[in-house]
Amino acid sequence: MVLLYSSIAAGVSAVGVLPLLRHDRIPVVAIGWANALASGLMLGAAFLLLSASLDYEAWIGGVGAVLGIVYVWFTHAAAGTEELDLNRLDERADVYGYKVLLVNTLHSAPEGVAIGGAALVSLPFGIFVALAMAVHNIPEATALSAILRSRGVRLDNAAGLAVMTNVTQVLLAVVTYAVVSAAPGALPWALGFAVGSLIYLVLAELLPESYREAGHTTIAVLTTLAMGAVVLLGDLAR
Amino acid sequence: MHPVLLVFLYGTVTALATGLGALPFLFFRRLSPLVVALANALAGGLMLGASFGLIVKGTDYGSWQTLAGGALGVVFILATQRALAGRELDVGAARGADARQMVLMVIVMTAHSFSEGVAVGVSFGGGATLAAIITIAIAVHNIPEGLAISAVLRPRGVSVARCAGWSVFSSLPQPAMAVPAFLFVEAFRPALPYGIGFAAGAMIFMVLVELLPEAYEDAPKPIVALLVSLTLVGMVLFQQYL
Repeated sequence: MVLLYSSIAAGVSAVGVLPLLRHDRIPVVAIGWANALASGLMLGAAFLLLSASLDYEAWIGGVGAVLGIVYVWFTHAAAGTEELDLNRLDERADVYGYKVLLVNTLHSAPEGVAIGGAALVSLPFGIFVALAMAVHNIPEATALSAILRSRGVRLDNAAGLAVMTNVTQVLLAVVTYAVVSAAPGALPWALGFAVGSLIYLVLAELLPESYREAGHTTIAVLTTLAMGAVVLLGDLAR
Repeated sequence: MHPVLLVFLYGTVTALATGLGALPFLFFRRLSPLVVALANALAGGLMLGASFGLIVKGTDYGSWQTLAGGALGVVFILATQRALAGRELDVGAARGADARQMVLMVIVMTAHSFSEGVAVGVSFGGGATLAAIITIAIAVHNIPEGLAISAVLRPRGVSVARCAGWSVFSSLPQPAMAVPAFLFVEAFRPALPYGIGFAAGAMIFMVLVELLPEAYEDAPKPIVALLVSLTLVGMVLFQQYL
């Protein structure tokens, strides 16, 4: 089940390429909006996982969250991508394209942990988080493929790469599910890890660029709306 | 002591505790743009953490009501921003964007205290035996809120004493609302999820629309992200255990 739903979440990212069929260049404002929506979805998912982790010892979730934050911070630092601007359509350097792909691949890992952990809280909750991640993958893939397109990558290849960057998500969803079902005590740790890394991702990758590309108010409204919707629906799903 | 007087007294103690949040700024002298940016990030993390805690509570009373309250909170900030945009603001030495941000911060935190006051009153009504413990909990939890306010005011040139004063001011609605909420628990209880949602929505929106964008301008992204996310986690744990 976890395999199925996380695969759907990864596969859906191909849909993100569709807007590029119609338009040769996506306006940079639209990428800002897409990232704002993605931020809201991730913050909402982080909130739901957090409130699930509070059913256990809160400090475990807290330590897990700090580990998640440090993990993402460290992978960025190690990959030399911590100051990477994810939406620069006009950047020509070869290494930029690879770095964007790398970041997107690393970034899918915590999303996988989130899906796997949520599925262990309850199946409907896991499906819901997988859906939220699927919806979030669409604008992410749009931004990614817009960058790839502007560098002359073919559209079908861009779609393929967008899906590939999310394979880590499927892998980690399944691994998290397997490991935590074998050792149930690990659940609050996994939940905390997902919470911390999702929040850090939003703050370090998604929001800073969005602000530059679209107005502060637009970004804040879109993010809060998406977050509110996820929290409400997720709360009903639990 | 008369129970109403007691609730009021406890409410006042919690309000005064907010002023303690200004104290760490006694040790800050240099106030460069980087310090302002980091203080914004700190305030942002504290407010996001507080909002997460509030939403957990709000959804226990009713998810839809909390969401509706949250939407109201967002609209409230947008309206306040619009109202402030038309005026020339002079707050002490600050003007323009700085002044607007300070006024907005005090308004947001004060507005959010109304629903906290209701929460205090309703919880007292639910059994006065735990009154002292609840008071201590809320008083302690107010300190980081004072810290958040001071983090916005102090780098913009407000003295520490005034930071403490505005922090206390922002919590005055707590005793003011706690008493009627305690007296008319049954009438106030249904309003609670709306109020909690309002407080959370207003704080989250304030962070997203004012504090974060400015923090990103003057400080490196990874530092802002680390500071906000770690403060957020710290705040959630703080509220869980105290």
